[in-house]
Amino acid sequence: MGVIRFDNVGRIFGAKSNPFVALKDIELQVDDKEFVAIVGPSGCGKTTCLRLVAGFDFPSSGSVLVDDQPIRRPGPERAVVFQQFALFPWKTVRQNIDLGLRNQKVAKSERDERTDSILQLMNLATYADHFPHQLSGGMQQRVAIARAYVLDPDVLLMDEPFGALDAQTRVVMQEELVRLARRNPRTVLFITHAVEEAVYLADRVVIMTRAPGCIKEILDVRSIRESENWDSHEKIEDVMDLESFVHLRTHIWRSLREEKAAATA
Amino acid sequence: MIVLIMLWFLATSATGMIPEGRFPSPQATIAALSHVQFRGYAGGVLTEHVLNSLRLVLMGFVVAIATGVPLGLLMGWNRTAEALINPIFLIVRPIPPLAWIPLAILWLGLGDAAKIMVIWFAAFVPSVINSYAGVRNIEKPTLEAAAMLGTPRWRFIREVMLPAASPMIFTGLRLSLQASWTTLVAAELVGAFYGLGRVLNVAQQDLYPGMILVGMIAVAILGWATTKALGIFEARALNWNQAAVLAGK
Repeated sequence: MGVIRFDNVGRIFGAKSNPFVALKDIELQVDDKEFVAIVGPSGCGKTTCLRLVAGFDFPSSGSVLVDDQPIRRPGPERAVVFQQFALFPWKTVRQNIDLGLRNQKVAKSERDERTDSILQLMNLATYADHFPHQLSGGMQQRVAIARAYVLDPDVLLMDEPFGALDAQTRVVMQEELVRLARRNPRTVLFITHAVEEAVYLADRVVIMTRAPGCIKEILDVRSIRESENWDSHEKIEDVMDLESFVHLRTHIWRSLREEKAAATA
Repeated sequence: MIVLIMLWFLATSATGMIPEGRFPSPQATIAALSHVQFRGYAGGVLTEHVLNSLRLVLMGFVVAIATGVPLGLLMGWNRTAEALINPIFLIVRPIPPLAWIPLAILWLGLGDAAKIMVIWFAAFVPSVINSYAGVRNIEKPTLEAAAMLGTPRWRFIREVMLPAASPMIFTGLRLSLQASWTTLVAAELVGAFYGLGRVLNVAQQDLYPGMILVGMIAVAILGWATTKALGIFEARALNWNQAAVLAGK
């Protein structure tokens, strides 16, 4: 299972005399095997949301639960993919992927089997003994995704995973992630500021606003994807051309722009 | 190098621009070299002086890094250790290592122990500071990734913290090694039965420029060679990092 619940969550940073309200009244449930993307301007607290689930940070009020259990520390059942990859440069691709399995005391033969299959799946098999810096950014992020996926986590947390990649690589990675997510569904919390990316990948898109960070709107993409049969199109650009996609995207853009206007007014 | 030696020859014995009493000619230097090597000078032949100095440097260096690196790592890793040790360190650190020489000689005499102690004080500091900084400068996502993967404490120290800090640790080792040589020669200048510093000191009293230069060149070569050896070791230990540097990433 992997149900994430934000229960009236608030997060305040800084001193009591000069507090910064990063999150306010966050109510959100991500169902098991659901792919939820959070979009919003920088500083809206979307990354903070992810860090609370990861156990890197803790709420000032309310609670964040995974399968009804409050989160006390980071752990492999809530695997994280970082924007800057955060691979271990002194370990080879295989060693990077293997570490989490070793930590779980998985037997060597099973570890090798699982690592091999994820390497295959992510098109990394020929790079197994390379060091991360010998790979391109896209390849490195593939390793980071493989390192998270191999743990078979309940929840996958992705913090702008494609933000550091160039546009072409980004598209390829988005298509691959969709394939991976359809084939091997997980509960995914995906943080991004790219609206198209969110609409293309997610079952639901959460729009956040800034200062204080709170949820403005939650859009159901999945029902539209299914009724308009997006998945019959293999290429991302074909999906992005569909009227239903354009409509959703524009809606989110407007929503974000209103937010910006309100903030500057 | 050859050009330099030619210039040296020209400036001293060929033209006499620099008088022999101020700076020795190449011939005088070679004569001094054969003097110390074959007839002995300042209590021993050159190889004895060299081996003795090298032995002391390596002993002091090893003691310093064996204590300094773990202490620095501990300070970087553990807030309590940092809070306890850092204040003491900040008070002791500004004392120049050479200022410990009189005390060391008073406590331990003119023998090896006093010199090892002084080298230890000098070489200890860069090892501690750089190991400490190496741990403190580990990027947050690296730490978070290790935590997210459920890495147990000892594995974290061995497989994440140590390698992540190792480029800085090696910087500390290099500085420690340099400090070891500087301090050894200074300590031997003040008081020693034999060693390269002793050669320099006696040669100064004897007004023997050729021998002074022999001593200085010997120290330079030894310092260079030991640093080189450390560099080779570093390149092997950090093969992933060397390649990363070459790749410009």
